[in-house]
Amino acid sequence: MLKIVARKLIQGLMMILIVSFLTFALLSAAGGDAFSSLRENPQVSAKTVENLRRVYGLERPFAVRYASWLGNVLAGNLGESFQFHLPVSTLIWPRFLNTLLLGVVALVIACGVALILGILSARFRGRMLSGFIAGLILLTASTPRMVLALVALALSVQFSAVTINTATDSVTSIMLAAIALAAPLISILLAQTHEGLGQAMREDFIQMARAKGLGEWTVIFRHALRSALNPVLTIFGLSLGALLGGSVIVETILNRPGIGALMVTAVRSRDIPLVMGVVLVASAAVWLGNTVGEILQMVNDKRLRP
Amino acid sequence: MHAKYAKISERGKGTAGFFTPFRVFRAHKANKRLIIGALSVGAFYLVAIFADFLAPYDYREQSRREPSAPASIPRFRDAEGSLHLNPFIYESRLSDPLTRRYTEDSSQAFFLDFFVKGHSYRLVGVFRTDRHLFGLRDYSTSGSPRIHLLGTDTLGRDRFSRLLQAIRFSLVVSPLGALAACAIGIFLGLISGYVGRMADTILMGAADAMISLPTLIVILAARAAFPLELPPLTAAFLLVMIFALTGWAEMSRLTRGLVLEMREREFVLAARASGVTETRILFRHILPNISRQLFAQAALILPLFLLAEVSLSFLGVGLQEPEPSLGNILTAAADMSQLQSQPFLLLTPAIVIFLFALGIRLLGDGLKNDRFDLARR
Repeated sequence: MLKIVARKLIQGLMMILIVSFLTFALLSAAGGDAFSSLRENPQVSAKTVENLRRVYGLERPFAVRYASWLGNVLAGNLGESFQFHLPVSTLIWPRFLNTLLLGVVALVIACGVALILGILSARFRGRMLSGFIAGLILLTASTPRMVLALVALALSVQFSAVTINTATDSVTSIMLAAIALAAPLISILLAQTHEGLGQAMREDFIQMARAKGLGEWTVIFRHALRSALNPVLTIFGLSLGALLGGSVIVETILNRPGIGALMVTAVRSRDIPLVMGVVLVASAAVWLGNTVGEILQMVNDKRLRP
Repeated sequence: MHAKYAKISERGKGTAGFFTPFRVFRAHKANKRLIIGALSVGAFYLVAIFADFLAPYDYREQSRREPSAPASIPRFRDAEGSLHLNPFIYESRLSDPLTRRYTEDSSQAFFLDFFVKGHSYRLVGVFRTDRHLFGLRDYSTSGSPRIHLLGTDTLGRDRFSRLLQAIRFSLVVSPLGALAACAIGIFLGLISGYVGRMADTILMGAADAMISLPTLIVILAARAAFPLELPPLTAAFLLVMIFALTGWAEMSRLTRGLVLEMREREFVLAARASGVTETRILFRHILPNISRQLFAQAALILPLFLLAEVSLSFLGVGLQEPEPSLGNILTAAADMSQLQSQPFLLLTPAIVIFLFALGIRLLGDGLKNDRFDLARR
């Protein structure tokens, strides 16, 4: 177990290193930075812009800048945002917690819907239920988060013009955002549980369990579900990335202060330290999600354990 | 070319030809999802091609007299209750510029006509013409109203015309991005699956990392490297490039899996035994045989690219005003005061996105589940 965690840790560090390097390279290669728009401002002299760039160390060569950024990160310092003049970590941390809360609620909704409907359809094998599930998969797969978020916004504006502005932490607003975030995930997870459980129910060991005289619920929970759960857990592990990506749109539209909305601000002002910080945190979170997913799979399936 | 593929496919057992997806209609009438999907996607592309013809006005034309105008409803029954065969509208006049309230003037009816003269454009990009599918009859008075099926935006531009133009942009850029991403993905997948060893390890490691990363955040980070405001063509090109570089991973994983499965099949061994070169085996024997699954996958990932383009434009870093995209039209819908007054009009681009995604999804599902193959015919 320890060996696997160590291997995943090294893989994660490699991934984060590569991603951060590529992002940094791209950000520097394209030319222009947070201050290039100032050059067009007649009230700012060219000298001021040069000084600003020197203060933030933008005139140094790329390799030097990347090395110093990396060194600072290893020392626990993500740098200072160009736009807000605040340490990047103080900007990211509270927003990251907000996004985490939203993501966890969305995951619970998606997994809950998928598992409940999947298990019900395995237990009662009705045509109505199957049709409903197929319809739900199609609908959630083709409703983009953006559309759902806008509809949620329209609904909340129609019914309570004030709540969405003042009480950003109210349960309704979190639920609305979480449902918008969860929808595409529901389709993937539901398709997987529905199909996987249906397949598992036709296996020989299920017949065996029934022949032993186990009740149908016990057969499903103790035998069918465990064999169908692994692909679901893989998706669960991978979904963290999708949720973080989706949070960009959902948070911007529903006006929630989270890491996705922060990324948009950072990109609009071409705030390199902030962009790098968000990318770093996002890839670390994704790595963590994948690792947790893999460990859960091992807990579920003894054959995967070393 | 066609006959050659068919021959190769017949050699392998239970395999499909390169052109199979296009012949599915004839072979499989029962596949409802495929047909509905193909029809709706086709309809969207017809709209995209003939956007100028279908739109009554130039999408850039502003009208200061009518900002945020309500939709003009084509009517058949007039204020006195008598019926007309020809649909007409009543003029909506801005009665209060501050609250943007409009009142309808039912004293004069303005009749609709088909094939009316309007601004000139190039049909399908070639023929210069000034005919439009519909519009108001020419009353040749300066104060004659305009017809806005979806109302106007804050600058008084016709939302319907803008929506049509936006469909054109979004439906061209995202498939181009998807195409580029698929080309890269299939190429890398072929190499990874066929060459194996080091290439496989490195490429699939990269693909796994790519898949697990939050795509939109990566795309945004890549977008941050370039100036915020770009001319429309540059922006479109940049979006295609970014999509290609960030979206290849899933395709290459699928291709690799299919190649691994195919390269052990008899027809590949037979080809190799008869001295066909490895590159030829890969591109002429294996690729045509896995093309159907690749088409299905391409159809399934296309909406993701559409959404990425829409999201970027929505966030103001994709296509920029005055050029319309489904995303930057929707930006107005995120403004709460506007959304409160005209929720349905503002959400029309969202409905369009939903319908297109649904059509593509049906098409992809249909392709994937289609059991048609040449060997069984």
